Amino acid sequence: MKSFLAALAFAAIAAFGVSSVLDTIQQSSSVAYTTSGARVGDPGKNLIGPN
Amino acid sequence: MPSSLSHIRALCAAIGLLFVFAHPAAAQLTFKPTAEAVQEDKLLNALKEGDKITGRISIPDTMASSLIQPAGRDWRDFQRSKLPIIGGVAILGMIVLLAIFLMVRGRIRVDHGFSGTKILRFASFERFTHWLTASCFIVLALSGLNISFGRVLVMPLFGAEAFATMSGWAKIAHDYLAFPFMLGLAIMFLIWIKDNIPGKLDWQWLKQGGGILANGKHPPAKRFNAGQKGIFWIVIIGGVLMSVSGWYLLFPYLPGNVTALQFWTVIHAVVAMLFIAAMLAHIYIGSVGMEGAFDAMGTGEVDLNWAKEHHALWVAEEQAKGRAPSKDGTHAVPAE
Repeated sequence: MKSFLAALAFAAIAAFGVSSVLDTIQQSSSVAYTTSGARVGDPGKNLIGPN
Repeated sequence: MPSSLSHIRALCAAIGLLFVFAHPAAAQLTFKPTAEAVQEDKLLNALKEGDKITGRISIPDTMASSLIQPAGRDWRDFQRSKLPIIGGVAILGMIVLLAIFLMVRGRIRVDHGFSGTKILRFASFERFTHWLTASCFIVLALSGLNISFGRVLVMPLFGAEAFATMSGWAKIAHDYLAFPFMLGLAIMFLIWIKDNIPGKLDWQWLKQGGGILANGKHPPAKRFNAGQKGIFWIVIIGGVLMSVSGWYLLFPYLPGNVTALQFWTVIHAVVAMLFIAAMLAHIYIGSVGMEGAFDAMGTGEVDLNWAKEHHALWVAEEQAKGRAPSKDGTHAVPAE
């Protein structure tokens, strides 16, 4: 039971940790693909929520 | 004057023909570009396999220049028609097979009954690794199936709005739990590979149906029998295919073009369906299907009689090393 609970906790922490790391090292498309000649609009949080 | 006009007309026609024949794309057209011909279907059908209509873009995302790619229609048809059939047959077929097996064979019991003496089958780190991979797999499988079947099976139950919110969170869980799943897979491979190399003994085990088809017959096996080795390699090979294809879906600019991305989504989806079906069999035999089997991953300790019936050679090895109780429940002392 301890191993099972530890595995669940580790999975959740690892998933959150990876999301934080990727959020830090990756750029949003609106930043990555904006050049001096073209601006890409911020897509917003269009997957979840009212936007 | 009429003579010079006709010369000019002839010259223009010759130059026009020269442009037509000098341009290979124009020469490949199989339809006449009249007003009637300029319809989307005819234009798309004129494109060959791998062709696509591209535009000119001013942002550094080359994939955004693809306007129309006809292979995308085949990919969409596959996702909408063939994939649900593959998934339905594999998963429902496995559930039906397991139900029939349970009805015909019944639960596989410990022939000699429980002895009350325990033997350690899996250490805590092994159980941790198993549950890390398994718990991630279950969420990945359910959230993945939601992509293929959710709109048909789940949305009518909860409504479009609740389904959309749930699917959004399921997608996030799918994306990020993929990483601990891949970690668990790698650790599993490292800690269990040495016990999962196929050998002659496995052939004997398979020839006797693993002893699960008839009561009282138990072919000898080491730590893992041929069936368990099969599951191990299905998990490793299936897991690697899911990880590689999933990596391309997580980072869609890695494949480099839309066609490659579509290829990896097909691999990901088909392997997933087969993988889920195989894991259903694993879950069945490790819980409902075999008495005493769940303890191996539950507490880590299994009954000595269970171990002797299913892994006789492994028990003998453990007893020789002094790591397992003998028949009377005392630990044997290894010979000096």
